[in-house]
Amino acid sequence: MTSEAKAVVKREWKLEPESEYRFEMDPGTTLAIKLIVGHAEIFGFELVEGKWYLFGYECKAAVYTWQGCTIEVAGQPSTEYVSEETSMSAYANLHIAFEQMRVRALRKLRGSPPHSDEPGTPVEPPRVLVLGPENSGKTTVCKILTNYAVRAGQGWSPVYVNVDPSEGGWAAPGIVSSAPITGPISTYSPANPLGSAATTTPMSFTSNALLPLAYWYGHADIRKNPLLLERLIRNLGENIKDRFDNDPESRVSGLIIDTPSSFASGQGSNDPRHRLIKACIEAFNVNVIIVVGHEKLNVEMQRAYSSQLTVVKIPKSGGVVELEYAYRERVHNYQLHAYMYGQIIPAPAGVTNATIGGETFTDLALAPSSTVINFGDLSIYRIGAESMAPTSALPIGAKRVVSEMQPAAIDPAQPGSGLLNAVLALLSPLNPDENERYDEELLDLTISGFLVVTHLDIPRKKMTILSPNQGSVVGRTAVLGSFEWQEQ
Amino acid sequence: MSIYSQSYPGHPPYGAASYTHPPLQSGYPYPYLHSNVAAPPPPPQPVYHYLDPASFRREFTTRLSELQVNSRPLIQNLSMLAQDYSKFAEIVAQCIEEHIRRVPPWMKLPAFYLLDAISKNVYEPYARHFASFVKPLFLETYGQVDEATRTKMEEMLLTWRTGSPAGKELFAVPPQIAIERGIWGDSAANYNSFSLSGRVTKAQVLSELEYTLGQKERALQANPYDTTSQNHVNVLYQLRKLVDAGVSQEELQQILNQLRTLIRQVPQPPTSSSSSNPTWPSQMTLPGSLSSTSYPPSSSAPTSGQPHQQHVIPPHAVKAEVGIFNPNAAAPQLAASKDNIASLLSTLVKAGVVSASTSVTPDNTKASAKVDDQDTQRADLEREFSRYYRNSILAQKIQLNSLDIMRKRPNVVNLLYDQLSLQCKQCGLRFADTVVGKKRMEEHLDMHFRQNRKATQNVGRGHSRSWFTSAEDWSHDLPPDVKGKGRENNTRSFNARVAAEEVAKREAELRAQYVVVSPGDEAKALSCPICKEQLKTEFLEEDEEWVWKNATKKDDRVYHATCFAEATAVKSSFAARLRFEKHGSRSGTPDTQSSRTTPPPDSRISRSKSPISPPRESKVVGTKRKVQSDDIAFGGNATPPFKKAALCS
Ligand SMILES: [Zn+2]
Ligand SMILES: [Zn+2]
Repeated sequence: MTSEAKAVVKREWKLEPESEYRFEMDPGTTLAIKLIVGHAEIFGFELVEGKWYLFGYECKAAVYTWQGCTIEVAGQPSTEYVSEETSMSAYANLHIAFEQMRVRALRKLRGSPPHSDEPGTPVEPPRVLVLGPENSGKTTVCKILTNYAVRAGQGWSPVYVNVDPSEGGWAAPGIVSSAPITGPISTYSPANPLGSAATTTPMSFTSNALLPLAYWYGHADIRKNPLLLERLIRNLGENIKDRFDNDPESRVSGLIIDTPSSFASGQGSNDPRHRLIKACIEAFNVNVIIVVGHEKLNVEMQRAYSSQLTVVKIPKSGGVVELEYAYRERVHNYQLHAYMYGQIIPAPAGVTNATIGGETFTDLALAPSSTVINFGDLSIYRIGAESMAPTSALPIGAKRVVSEMQPAAIDPAQPGSGLLNAVLALLSPLNPDENERYDEELLDLTISGFLVVTHLDIPRKKMTILSPNQGSVVGRTAVLGSFEWQEQ
Repeated sequence: MSIYSQSYPGHPPYGAASYTHPPLQSGYPYPYLHSNVAAPPPPPQPVYHYLDPASFRREFTTRLSELQVNSRPLIQNLSMLAQDYSKFAEIVAQCIEEHIRRVPPWMKLPAFYLLDAISKNVYEPYARHFASFVKPLFLETYGQVDEATRTKMEEMLLTWRTGSPAGKELFAVPPQIAIERGIWGDSAANYNSFSLSGRVTKAQVLSELEYTLGQKERALQANPYDTTSQNHVNVLYQLRKLVDAGVSQEELQQILNQLRTLIRQVPQPPTSSSSSNPTWPSQMTLPGSLSSTSYPPSSSAPTSGQPHQQHVIPPHAVKAEVGIFNPNAAAPQLAASKDNIASLLSTLVKAGVVSASTSVTPDNTKASAKVDDQDTQRADLEREFSRYYRNSILAQKIQLNSLDIMRKRPNVVNLLYDQLSLQCKQCGLRFADTVVGKKRMEEHLDMHFRQNRKATQNVGRGHSRSWFTSAEDWSHDLPPDVKGKGRENNTRSFNARVAAEEVAKREAELRAQYVVVSPGDEAKALSCPICKEQLKTEFLEEDEEWVWKNATKKDDRVYHATCFAEATAVKSSFAARLRFEKHGSRSGTPDTQSSRTTPPPDSRISRSKSPISPPRESKVVGTKRKVQSDDIAFGGNATPPFKKAALCS
């Protein structure tokens, strides 16, 4: 019998202090891990003793222990091993240094009497830009630093900023976004590396009900439209600044900014990365740059910025695996699927009462809505590049660069509109006051969510839209990018 | 023998089978049932369908094992489970006893609270079952726990004196006496007596103080205009401080005596204080309100709206009740209590621990003073907590550079694990084992409770991904709903409150500024160049001069001080912004939208949104401003509306 052949595979691993159990998974498999005794954490997220935690969707993660522990693993990972070579102590030191900055900033804000500090110690909270090449574990570092901050018991809620459009974060790829983090972020699926944007499902973890602020870039590659990306970064910075002005105490928790790996190394002198790094530093008022395991980049950053801020190099995290292109593509699919339909991770045989990242119920299924609308019901635009007008149509003296930021309306009735299976970003409502409108307003609006065009009926001028919820999209505006998604 | 053997005529003796318990909901205004959980408790109809004792035992044990901190929801749930399955009372009793003996000391108190809750709420047959082991269990536990927990246990023990539905000993007389003897020594045995023999311990006095204080506070909550209770509370707070600081044995005795007089409230002829008079039990308030003194969370719970119902209280006790709770009660009683207070105070003054000047002047301020006080206490604790953390963080020698980061051994285990020894077993989040930490954990568990309940209620309903938040809401940290928010909500509102106070203070300072009106100009109408409102004149008695209030002079022009401050202090204008949001019109900052109209990437300054423009541009925005400033009570009397609005924002 196959069911018996697939008998329960459960193994115990005893981990020495400051070591970690690393695993990778094959597509379509699930894994469950339980902490039997001791303390353990996954990228800074502490596990509760005796609870099964599920993993799926080719999750790659590591269970780390500071003081030693025993864990039980059910299911069959594709790779698993224990390593004592981690960079956790460096990350922990960073955390302590950032905590010092936070408490000093808080003290200043509350006007408490000065400590016996050395004079001249900075009293600004940490606003940290994390840079690193491909597969250096930037996101892991960001996640650990964020999790440690929210675990400090001080009510911190650092704002996590993700300016890597190829990384879906808490929703789907193509956006630059930010969210205040108030509770630990769990790791269970690459579809939600940074927790999950809010749903109507009641959640135990605030990190599974995040309220991100998101702008639509629409592409995975920063070189596709660097001007647009820069503008969105600056818009994001403005909103964060507003938030901090509104609640000065929230400012004290600081910012953690995750960046694309293409910020780390460029292609020639024309590469936009320097400009984008500079935009980040200005927009988010960065005061610490962390370079993850890249000496050349470290030197470069030291030279450019060490006069105005602190540049620290840290080693790359040990467990990082090379990710091939096909894997990233699959992850993008998982993300859009999870955005629309949620995620169900079945427990491996022999495991009962399992949790997904600690959430006590495993049925995180969501019901999107599919509606047929008229072509005219939704205004769809594309920004720049593909829609560039022929030079003859440009105003005299205008440079081509202008059109990179130009929204161009898309006519769904035109064959080759590129709309079928396209992921659209639904924009926040335009300014109701016509006089306040301007050409590039679309670039400065945050997005409400993602839509997918699942069917085009050109003769009848109708299209079918998959939307995450029942909310009407009629009369709204959406922007096309270069992402596509098809239900599999 | 003492009064214990006596019972009130016409009332069934303790534990008599004839006693029937009133239905739970109408019976007692029990604090668990009125926790801050929004929805009323589910109807008694059990949702569980256990058929056999074994499954019930399993279920109850499992749920009991989750009771690790003082969580009202959990205690409430377990009590209701016990009520629904009173046929398994023996199992419940066994489970609780085993649980308390087995768990580590810090987990014992919550289980005792459960025992207490079930006994008082359901009473029959539970009190009977618990009575068989409550003495050894209590004393054994008392020997294992820390000081703070002991105090809590003592408070609880005091409520047991009158915890039964008839207002008598919850677990019969012998266990009550035995426990009290075990804790306070022989003197406790005379707790009904005016004249105390034997040594009185500080702990005992403090316990009774807390207990009395709790009663009075509850009385005050029930009736905010009860100035008598207000006074009592004030004095009791002072007393507590004094006793805490340490007073002589003689004074301890005196205070204890006074306390008992105070709480009795019934003007007793001297003869009635003989040891044979069963008056002590009659002083009781109600089981519900009494027991709530032992549950810290109730202090924050909005129990004030709960009427204090009166049940099975002997007629003369009811009269005493009126004395405590009803300000319209007979005048002689009020006078008597005032005398008591006076004598209490004089005791203190005589002891030289307090100067007469600090004595409480009976003030008729509203009961909200009390609430403010609690807020302040909480704020103080929070500050202390963060000060402690700050010091332990700053003590770590670490430099933010590549070398130090790589070289140092981080002390993070201490910070993330050891200092936070309480852990939520649902999500793993940790809290410090301190007053503030416990409070936060409690709020955190309440959040889980609400979420879990929502989850069960929502089973089978289609859920979906929500739209992302708007830039406006995001910047103001306004959740589209409260989903998933818990702990941080409280911190938030606390922070917001601190900020609001800050704003109100600055506001008041600005409004206090004035410009002297040049002689002869008194009749001249002058308007603020910014808001176009007329400046108000006022005659200053001391200086015998006419002045413009809330005014400042710049370059020979007189502005509202508040307007001018806003216009100039654009950068740090959160105060101004708060003021705008206050009256609920977040749209009052239309610049959020319009600021996007000039969005070249580098023009950050031009996009920075001052709520208003600098003076010389004021014409453009003048009209808009004017409307707003009217709403905001620029003319009216200043601060209160701000604060209020900020609090509920
Ligand atoms: Zn929790
Ligand atoms: Zn004015």
